[in-house]
Amino acid sequence: MNLEDRIFKWFDERFKIKDLLTSVIKHPAPEYAATNPLYCLGGIAFLCFMILVTTGVFLAMYYKPTPLEAYKSVEHIMTVVPMGSLVRSIHHWAANTMIAAVMLHMMRIYFMGAYKKPRELNWVVGVTLLLITTTFGFSGYLLPWDQLAFWATKIGTGIAGSIPVIGEYISLILVGGTDIGAETMTRFFTIHVMILPITIAILLLLHFAMVRIQGISGRL
Amino acid sequence: MSLIEIEKHEIEEERPVRIRGLPFFPHFLLREVVVMCLIAGSLILMASLYPAGLLKPADPFDTPTPIYPEWYFLYVFGFLKFWTWDIGPLPAKVIGVTLPMVLWYGLLFMVPFIDRNPSSDIRKRKVAVALGIIAILGILYFTYFSIVHH
Repeated sequence: MNLEDRIFKWFDERFKIKDLLTSVIKHPAPEYAATNPLYCLGGIAFLCFMILVTTGVFLAMYYKPTPLEAYKSVEHIMTVVPMGSLVRSIHHWAANTMIAAVMLHMMRIYFMGAYKKPRELNWVVGVTLLLITTTFGFSGYLLPWDQLAFWATKIGTGIAGSIPVIGEYISLILVGGTDIGAETMTRFFTIHVMILPITIAILLLLHFAMVRIQGISGRL
Repeated sequence: MSLIEIEKHEIEEERPVRIRGLPFFPHFLLREVVVMCLIAGSLILMASLYPAGLLKPADPFDTPTPIYPEWYFLYVFGFLKFWTWDIGPLPAKVIGVTLPMVLWYGLLFMVPFIDRNPSSDIRKRKVAVALGIIAILGILYFTYFSIVHH
């Protein structure tokens, strides 16, 4: 018995991983899903998400979420930190690609009618994921604290603020005062790196679990 | 706990309905890995060719022009500019904000409950397909509108 088998056996005796592994490995995926490239879109969005988490963690190591330091720290990432410019640029491109992939994935589901019984709730979770993804984009837009970031956020929170009844509260919660400032930055930073990542992770788990239970919908 | 139950459920079920299936490993995973490499490669390429920009530091007393939001919010801006009509006591601005943000997302959430047609055959879903195309064209139009009428 070689070393790999012994390691496998050690874990199998404790966690019964053989049953788990075979159910994952042998789990059949329908042929149309493996051959049609349209079925890649959800996976592409998830790949982008993982790249965003990785690059985001590195960016957070250097970024300082205050109006005085934010711009300088982003400049520092772009010019001084080794590979900093590349990591930030990949974060930027992965974010845009993720939103495009989520939208195209949604169109695929819509036109193939894949949201029908029994998958209604997975569609609802999916629309929530789209909302969260765009909110990620919106909250990340402010963080570099350059002219575009500041003014786009000012207009964006202004628009959200003019929704009847709830708008006023949304705006107050987001901005944390009367004008975009230090409170807004820390709030957007918290939303971007804590609240949204936890929410999206839970919803993604639900999304995938439902696909697993109900199978991939199909037939063109 | 629940995940383990799912696995058992899947094993016990033994679906005779499935006609042609490929095992997840290696067939399905191989395609996923190939696509992942392509996308990761393209991201690195785009990031190297077109790095993320950084303008001048934020200045609350100097409004720059033009200010564009991210491309996926442009249609909201476009609709806000497009809608200039008051309806009764509702001012145009409130309608212009509420329709794309509240009503549009509300409709999206309700799609499976509005479309009760059980068929997933595209030829038997003419209304749903037509509405979907109208929605996409609408979003493209308002995106275009927001860029032109800046």
